[in-house]
Amino acid sequence: MNLEKVVFGFFIVLAFTLNFGFFLGEMDNPQYHQVYELFVVVVVNLIATVLKLGDRTQIGAILLSTSLVADLELISAAIYWTVVVHITESGLTPDVTATIVSLSGGALMANIVSVIMVVSETLMLRR
Amino acid sequence: MALFSPPRAQRVTFLVLREMRTPMLVLISTYAFAILGMTLMPGKDGGHMSVFHAFYFVMYTATTTGFGELPQEFSNAQRLWAVVCLFITVVGWLYAVGAIIRLLQNVYFQRTLAEGRFTRAVQRLPRDFFIVCGFGDTGSILTRGLSNAGISAAILEKDDVRIKALQLRDYTVPMPGLCCDATLPQHLLEAGLQSPHCQGLVALTHNEEANLKIAAVARLLNPSVRIIVMSGSEMHEETVATLGRRTHFVDPFKTFAKELGAAICNPYLYLFNEWLARAKGAALDKEITPLPKGHWIICGFGRMGREVHKVMTEYGLSVAVIDEGEPGSEYPMDIFIRGSATAKTLKAGGIERAVGVVAATDDDGRNLSILINARALNPKVFMIVRQNRHQNELAFSAAKADIIMQPSLIAARRVLFMLTAPLLRRFFIDLLESHATHPERITDLIKRLRHVLGAEPPHLFTLKILDEQSPALWGALGGDVEISLGDLLRDPRDRRVSLHTVPLVVRSDDGVTYMPAKSFRLRRNDRVLLCGTEAAHRMLEATVHNEYTLYYLVTGRDKPRAYWMRWLRRGQGKDPHNGWPKSILSNE
Repeated sequence: MNLEKVVFGFFIVLAFTLNFGFFLGEMDNPQYHQVYELFVVVVVNLIATVLKLGDRTQIGAILLSTSLVADLELISAAIYWTVVVHITESGLTPDVTATIVSLSGGALMANIVSVIMVVSETLMLRR
Repeated sequence: MALFSPPRAQRVTFLVLREMRTPMLVLISTYAFAILGMTLMPGKDGGHMSVFHAFYFVMYTATTTGFGELPQEFSNAQRLWAVVCLFITVVGWLYAVGAIIRLLQNVYFQRTLAEGRFTRAVQRLPRDFFIVCGFGDTGSILTRGLSNAGISAAILEKDDVRIKALQLRDYTVPMPGLCCDATLPQHLLEAGLQSPHCQGLVALTHNEEANLKIAAVARLLNPSVRIIVMSGSEMHEETVATLGRRTHFVDPFKTFAKELGAAICNPYLYLFNEWLARAKGAALDKEITPLPKGHWIICGFGRMGREVHKVMTEYGLSVAVIDEGEPGSEYPMDIFIRGSATAKTLKAGGIERAVGVVAATDDDGRNLSILINARALNPKVFMIVRQNRHQNELAFSAAKADIIMQPSLIAARRVLFMLTAPLLRRFFIDLLESHATHPERITDLIKRLRHVLGAEPPHLFTLKILDEQSPALWGALGGDVEISLGDLLRDPRDRRVSLHTVPLVVRSDDGVTYMPAKSFRLRRNDRVLLCGTEAAHRMLEATVHNEYTLYYLVTGRDKPRAYWMRWLRRGQGKDPHNGWPKSILSNE
């Protein structure tokens, strides 16, 4: 049992699953996509990023970069959401919703890569 | 300090520009003349073409593109001038293109281009490399070996055909080659002789005088580089010895005779050597048939014959020699028969009672016929045959001799070991010296290797504990951390298991240890020669680059990787030893 690996694995998988939850549902229908869900996904992803800081290995560097990609896309989605609701006040039209959800889909891909890397690194060390 | 700087791209550019000077002037003046004329010709409506339109028209006319009469239909005066334009500009173009082609066909220019390309390719080599002069049989076998070990080489070869052959080979790493005379200092510099990454130079050309010259020039240009010279004459050996400390001499015939000596008195060592060199059919569990002791016949008393004769008489075998020339008085021998090796002379040499025959002439056809003759007269005889040319491989493997001696192959193996496993020779010398007192050492080693490697082919590698080559290990050994060889050779996947490697030699600053124990304490600047599987080599490479793996192997625990975990652990006392537990720190 290694505390660091437990915490780290927990946050990576949590970020991935929450992201998937937000992404699931009709692309352009805002009923399927909760603002709180997006909020939590952004927060958990940022925590996962911070947890990856400081690892001096190759795989650590790649994990950090995939995490940063997910952050970038999720934060863009969140900013877009804020702009359409509060600044242009056009509201969540179907095309706006589709854009937000597809950005979260991109982040989901990055998170899948992260999970695959963590799992494969663990499988390489049969201990 | 460079005495001479290799050609740069500027030289090629300069040559092109100088060669193109006249054609350029011709082009500019014909264009100017044509454009000016076009603007002066009166058009259909009495007006004149603007300079821009005339320029546009001449541009597409000169290159024979021809869009027609633009911007509007021409007057007859303009058409007349257009004909003039066509003639002068097209002829000018053809002349300029011809000049370029002449330049490209110039042999000197092509050579300059090739040299520039080669120099750049050498400068781009990512890691350490060797310089190989001569890409004949020996050179190509050596290059293949280096490629298998993942080491680049810059190759200089006089024969254009061989360089073309080199370019078609499928090496795992870049092997830039240049067709040139390697005895010229300029080409040695182009091959990177003064580069800090140059690990050594090997002179293997067919011409032994040239090899010597290359070695001397290389020594002058780079006093600290390792130099290996191949030659078969004693006189050269003495000359090479005067070139200083890091100069080595390889004589394929002597090397073979030594191996033969080992095969006579110490068959296990011979087997071990053959297996390490991955010789055909060599395996550690092979039944050992030592060379039969008794009466031997040597056919051909050239360089190989002499060396073999020397060794055999040292071991007290009775030897008959058959040769066409006079042996000279400095070789005392029991039986000497003058003539070529035929059934008659073989009988006179005592083929019926002989246990073995050595066919050592420098002609492959003759050696094979000696083998057939000897077999016919005495089917049980042990045959050692010299193979001079690599191309005759098929004939020799069909002849089923007991030992085939190929000087080029032997020299290449020897040089390859010198380059990739420099500690191996000392190890062999140590094994030979201790053989009288501890004969079990070599048999134990073979047992252990067989146990660890099974049927895998051997892979020799040298682990250098230096800052660039194993940063994690270097860093850990900088503190008071004690790391033993056994810890380092654990399997990163499960530290209770060892990697499939056997450490053979450790060279430290204060001496050499043969077959070091697991408890051997490693220090900075050590060099460890290991024999193991290729997979184990890759694992070990990863370990010495990765501080977390190394920490796990030594302590059995995982080192905190990320900042937050280190910050959590900080509460448990400041750690002066970069996270290493106190239990494994030395008390020095």
